[in-house]
Amino acid sequence: MVLHLAGQALTAKRFSPAPMNKESTPSPHEITQLLEDWSNGNQAALDKLYPLVYEELRRMARRYMSRERKDHTLQTTALINEAYLRLVDQKHVHWQNRAHFFGISAQIMRRILIDHARRYAYTKRGAGAQRISLDEAAVVAKGRATELLSLDEALNSLAEIDPRRSRVVELRFFGGLDNDEIAAVLKISPNTVIRDWNLARAWLYQELSGSVV
Amino acid sequence: MKPERWQQISEIFESALALEPDERLAYVEQECGADEALRREVDRLIESHHKGNEENFIASPATERAAPFLVHEDNEAELSRNRLEEGQKVSHYLIIRKLGAGGMGEVYLAQDTQLDRAVALKILPAEVASDKRRMQRFKQEARMASALNQPNIVTIFEFNQADSLHFIATEYVDGETLRQHLRGRVTMADIIDISIQILAALDAAHEAKIVHRDIKPENVMIRRRDRVVKVLDFGLAKLTEKKTGALSDTEAATEVLVKTMPGSLMGTVNYMSPEQAQGLTVDNRTDLWSTGVVIYEMLAGRSPFGGATSSHTVVEILEKEPRSLADGARMKVPAELQRIVSKALSKNPDERYQTAKDMLIDLRSLRRRLDVDAEIERSASPETVAPSVSTDNGDRGNETAIQSPAGGTQEEQRAPRKRVVVGVLLTAMVVVVALAFGVNVWRSSRAKLASSAPAAVAERQLNYWIMVQKYKDDKPYQAPFRLAGEINFEPQYHIRLHVLSLQSGYLYVLNEGPLEKGLPQFIVLFPSPTANGGSSLVLESNELQIPEESWFTFDNEQGTEKLWLVFSANAVTQLEAVKGFATAKGKGVIRDPDLNRTVQEFLATHSVSKPAVEKNNEQKETNLKVPGTVLVHQIDLEHH
Repeated sequence: MVLHLAGQALTAKRFSPAPMNKESTPSPHEITQLLEDWSNGNQAALDKLYPLVYEELRRMARRYMSRERKDHTLQTTALINEAYLRLVDQKHVHWQNRAHFFGISAQIMRRILIDHARRYAYTKRGAGAQRISLDEAAVVAKGRATELLSLDEALNSLAEIDPRRSRVVELRFFGGLDNDEIAAVLKISPNTVIRDWNLARAWLYQELSGSVV
Repeated sequence: MKPERWQQISEIFESALALEPDERLAYVEQECGADEALRREVDRLIESHHKGNEENFIASPATERAAPFLVHEDNEAELSRNRLEEGQKVSHYLIIRKLGAGGMGEVYLAQDTQLDRAVALKILPAEVASDKRRMQRFKQEARMASALNQPNIVTIFEFNQADSLHFIATEYVDGETLRQHLRGRVTMADIIDISIQILAALDAAHEAKIVHRDIKPENVMIRRRDRVVKVLDFGLAKLTEKKTGALSDTEAATEVLVKTMPGSLMGTVNYMSPEQAQGLTVDNRTDLWSTGVVIYEMLAGRSPFGGATSSHTVVEILEKEPRSLADGARMKVPAELQRIVSKALSKNPDERYQTAKDMLIDLRSLRRRLDVDAEIERSASPETVAPSVSTDNGDRGNETAIQSPAGGTQEEQRAPRKRVVVGVLLTAMVVVVALAFGVNVWRSSRAKLASSAPAAVAERQLNYWIMVQKYKDDKPYQAPFRLAGEINFEPQYHIRLHVLSLQSGYLYVLNEGPLEKGLPQFIVLFPSPTANGGSSLVLESNELQIPEESWFTFDNEQGTEKLWLVFSANAVTQLEAVKGFATAKGKGVIRDPDLNRTVQEFLATHSVSKPAVEKNNEQKETNLKVPGTVLVHQIDLEHH
C-alpha cells in the first residue's frame, strides 16, 4: 500500500514580461527606406515595418511606464515622436512620410495596449501573507483593462459600417494625433475629422452603454 | 445596418449638430418625416453625443486610460522578481523563502543562524538605499523603533548592511494580516479586542515619540498561534516619504499626488488623515485617525471614505462625514463604540482623541461593559448563550456574540481557528474506521501548549491533523474536512497531512511501502521540492500541508497505510539523504536498498521511545510530545 500524489501539484501562473528583443534596432536608413517604399504603394514594406515599429514602441512604452520614472505619464504623441526620431532618418524623408509613420504607429499602439489589457484582464493574481496590498490599484487597473477591451471591440464593429470614422478614433484615441495630423494621414479636411470624431464618439458611447439599457 | 441607412443617419446627425442646440429637435423631426425609427436613431445618437461630452468619454488618450494597468503590470513584474534565492545567506541570516514584496522592498522569511530563530528580513529597494539623506533619517527612526518593546509591536532586531544590501531584520509573525482576517467572519468581541491591541501598540510607540503614519489592515498581523495582534513596520513609513519638514502648497500637492498615483506602490490613500492628505506635518493623532478608519471598516465591512479614484477619496477624507455606523454597519454597533470611532475621525486633530491612551481607556471600559452585559444576559437565559457558532451561509448580519466571559484573558478571547471550507456539499457515506494512535490520550487546549514556556529539558513537540476529501465517481463530494478520528478510507479518497510545528526543527514524512526482498520500501512525502522551498527545516509555528496544494490518494491494495513523522532538533543525516528521491517523477520512492535499510534502522531505533499522543477532539488535531531531540511517530491509516 502506498500513497500517490493526486495529479500534479498546482502552481500559480505568474505573469512574466515578454522577453526583450535581443536583435539590434535596424538602422534609421533601413526604416526610412521601408517607409518610403510603403508610401509608394509597396505593401510588403509595411509587413516589414510593422514589427520593427511595434518592438520599438513596446520597448519605449515599457520604459516610460517603469517604476524608475516618478511621474508615470505616458504621452502617446511624445512617445511616437520619439520613436519616429529614433527610427527614421530625418534628412531623407518627406514630411508626408511622417504622417504615415504616425498612422501606423497609432494602429500599433492600439495593438500594444489591447494586448496588455487582455493579458491583464485575464491574469489571475494572488497575494502572499505579508504582501503589501495593491488591492485598490488592482481593482482600478482591472476596470480600465476591461473598459479598453470593450472599446476596442466596439471600434471594430464601427469599422464594419464606417471604416474611416473608426480610423479617426484610432488615430486620435490610440495614436494621440491631433486633427491636422489625422487630416494629413487620411487625406481629408480637418473639419471632416471633427465631424467624423463627433459621430464616431456618439456611436461608440451608445454602443457601449446601449447593451445595458 | 445597411450603408444607405447609416449614410442617412450620419448626414442628419451632422447637420443637426451644426445647428444651435434648441433648433436640433425640430430639424431632426422635419428631416425624418414619417420615419419614426430613423428619428429615434438620430435622437439617441445626439443624446449620446451630449452624454459623451459631459462624461469626457474617450477624451483622454488611450495610454492615459491604460496607465493604471500598465503600471500595475510593471509593478507586479517587479514584485515577482526575487533578489535573493532560497538557501542564500545575508549576513548571518539564511533565506528560507520569500514572503512578499511591497513599497518597502522584498520581505523574506529567514533563519537567524546565530540565535536560531525565525526572522522576517526586509531588503530595501536599491533606489531607497541609494538616497543617503533618506537613509539617514530612516536609520535614526529605525533605531528608535527598535527600542520599542511591547507585545503588540513587531520587534525590530537589526538594521544593517551586507555587501550592497540594506536590510531590516524583524520578528517573524506567522499569521494573517487584518485584511485577510476581515475576509472571514468577525465578531464584535474580535473587533474590540483587535482595536485595543492596536491602540496598546500605538500607546507604547507614541510614548517613545514614534508615529507610525501608515496604520492600515495590511500592517496589522494576527498571529496564528495565539491570535495576538502585531503591528508591523513602526518607523518604516519614513522610508516611503520623500521629504521632511513643512512643505509648500504645491509641494504638498505633488507629494500627495505621488502617493495617490494609481498603481503606485503606496497602494491606498483610504487610511490617510486629512492632515496627511494635505501634506501637512503629522503627529501621533494621525495614527488615531487611521485606527478610526480601520475600526470603522471592521464594523461596516467597507471603508468610511472611498471614491472611485484616489483623488475622490482624498476629497471625501477632507470634506465628507462618513455614513453613520448606526445603520451602515454589518452588525449592531453599540452607541459608545460609534462615539469612539466618530471622535477618532474628527477632521480637526484638536477635536480627536489626543492620545492613544485616552482612546484605549474608552475601548477597554466599553469591553468591560459589554462583558458585563453578556454576563447578565447569560445568567438571565442560560440556554440562549451557547457559544457562538459560525454561520456558514455567509450572513454576517447582527453578530454581537461576545466570546469571552468577564475578566477573560487574551488567550480565551481568540476566535476559533478558521477551518478550510470548500463549497461542495453533498451527502456522505462514511463507513468504517481506524486511526491507530499511541497509548496516552488526554485532553488539553492548544492555547496551553502554545503559551507554555520553553521547557528547560529538551523536548520535541508537534501537532498534526489529517484532511480528507471524499471522492465518489471520480468527483470530489462534500467539503474537505478534518479527520475527527475514525473513517474508512475508500480507494478514491484524497488525504492530506497538516503539520503545525510548535518549535523549529527538521521534519521528514515517509510512507512505508510493502516489503521488497524482505525490506520495506519507503516513499518520501516531505521534504519535497514543491513544499517549504525544498527544505526540511521548519520554523516555529509553521503550518505545513503535505503535499502542498494537492492531495494523496490510496492505491487499490487494502490494508494499513503507514506514515512516519520524524521531527528532529537537528538535521538527520540519514534522512537528508532521501531528499534526492522526493521528485514528482520518481513518485518519491527511495530506489536504493541501502538507503531503505538505513531509513528503516533509523526509524526502528528512534521509535523505541514513543511520543505521548494527545488527541484534541475539539480542534481535531493530535499533539505529539517526547523528551529528547528526536520525535518519531507512526500514523496508521486503515484502508479497505
